Amino acid sequence: MLREDFIIQANIRRILARTEIDVSQMDFGTVRGVVYIQGTFQVSRFDPSWDSDKVNEFTVNTLYSLEKKIRCIPGVLDVIFQLSNWRKEKGHWFHAKLK
Amino acid sequence: MKPRRDPIYRHILREVGKKIQMHPNYADLRNQLALLLMVEGDMGRAEVHFLKALRLNPKYRETILNLGFLYMETRRWKKAEEVFLAEVKRHPRDGFLHHVLGILYLQTGKQKKATAHILKAMKYHPHYRDYYRKKGVWTRGTIHLNPKVENVLENVHLYPYAQFHNFVGLNLAKRGKFEQAVKELKKAEGLSPNEFIFHANLGTVYYYQGAYPKAIQEFQKALRIDPLYGMGYANLSYVYGLMGRTGEALRCMNKAVRLNPQYADLHYSLALLYNDRKQYGKAVLELKKALRINPDYLFARINLGVLYEDQKRWKEARREYRKVLRITPDDEHVRKRLERIS
Repeated sequence: MLREDFIIQANIRRILARTEIDVSQMDFGTVRGVVYIQGTFQVSRFDPSWDSDKVNEFTVNTLYSLEKKIRCIPGVLDVIFQLSNWRKEKGHWFHAKLK
Repeated sequence: MKPRRDPIYRHILREVGKKIQMHPNYADLRNQLALLLMVEGDMGRAEVHFLKALRLNPKYRETILNLGFLYMETRRWKKAEEVFLAEVKRHPRDGFLHHVLGILYLQTGKQKKATAHILKAMKYHPHYRDYYRKKGVWTRGTIHLNPKVENVLENVHLYPYAQFHNFVGLNLAKRGKFEQAVKELKKAEGLSPNEFIFHANLGTVYYYQGAYPKAIQEFQKALRIDPLYGMGYANLSYVYGLMGRTGEALRCMNKAVRLNPQYADLHYSLALLYNDRKQYGKAVLELKKALRINPDYLFARINLGVLYEDQKRWKEARREYRKVLRITPDDEHVRKRLERIS
């Protein structure tokens, strides 16, 4: 089972490199098919003319998209986000104050 | 090179300009701007920004090399010599610097000095022995310099242009434009084929692109040039893993860990691979090493708990899960695991 964990990890590296996410403040790990994403979640590129609502909307879409992509990796059973600045409640993402 | 009208070049130049406005004291941004200007042919302004970068960070190796090459490019040999000699004084065992000095002296007709530095380049970096042999400079244990050989060797001054293409390639890769990134990185590689980092970057882009055999090829080239490049082995390991070649993945990750024993995440990856081969003892050992380096490395701790659980070492498993829950009390997966064995 853990053989898949190593492959899942290698796949996540690829996925993160192909997204608009600033990975410098994030870390990820896989335990028996359960993927953990930790740290501060920020998008690395957005239109400078956007206001904070638009940036938040873009960030939420990026979060949904990231989760979907990770869940598509064979062997992934669950994705747990432990983020300091975003939290998911009942399927919806909310901006949280930085701890 | 006429990048002035190239939209990618214009975009990067604007981006770097904006960043410098926000962070005027970042040496790396000054170095990037200087590189862009140098490629555009604006040597005067490029020199100004390289010098500004060095005022901000006098030991910034990349800038020192770029400035030295700018002087070589503008045929200011004395200044170039000063730059490279000062650097080689700080790093007397740096094969690349001796190689550059050898070429500089060849270009200025100082063959004796050139020979001395070429010999040192071969002494301090084994890669150069092969390099000079291929170029016909090193045969039957002696140095042979002739005008034809000198022409081949003098390409070293293209290093900043290679750096430019490397920088553009990385910028494109960061924006997800992998095909264009590959083109730029190949240009870098073509101009400076002996720079391991260009091969490594190209390998990384191929890995992200999913072109695994090409990624392996590039990482292997990088490692032939610099066998101490630990992250090259780690990346090779990930690629082999994705290809299902876990035996090779394990061999490479082992080398990566040996070269970078302080990287907790490499110990963690190695533990995952050991576990795959059912070498649980070794997996536990690697996870413990990761946790010694970073006691808050949560994934390593959860994995350690799971491994203890597998081995029916309930007490140790409970101890690890409790530690995890002290840091992340909301982790339902770990809570359930703990409840199951409590």
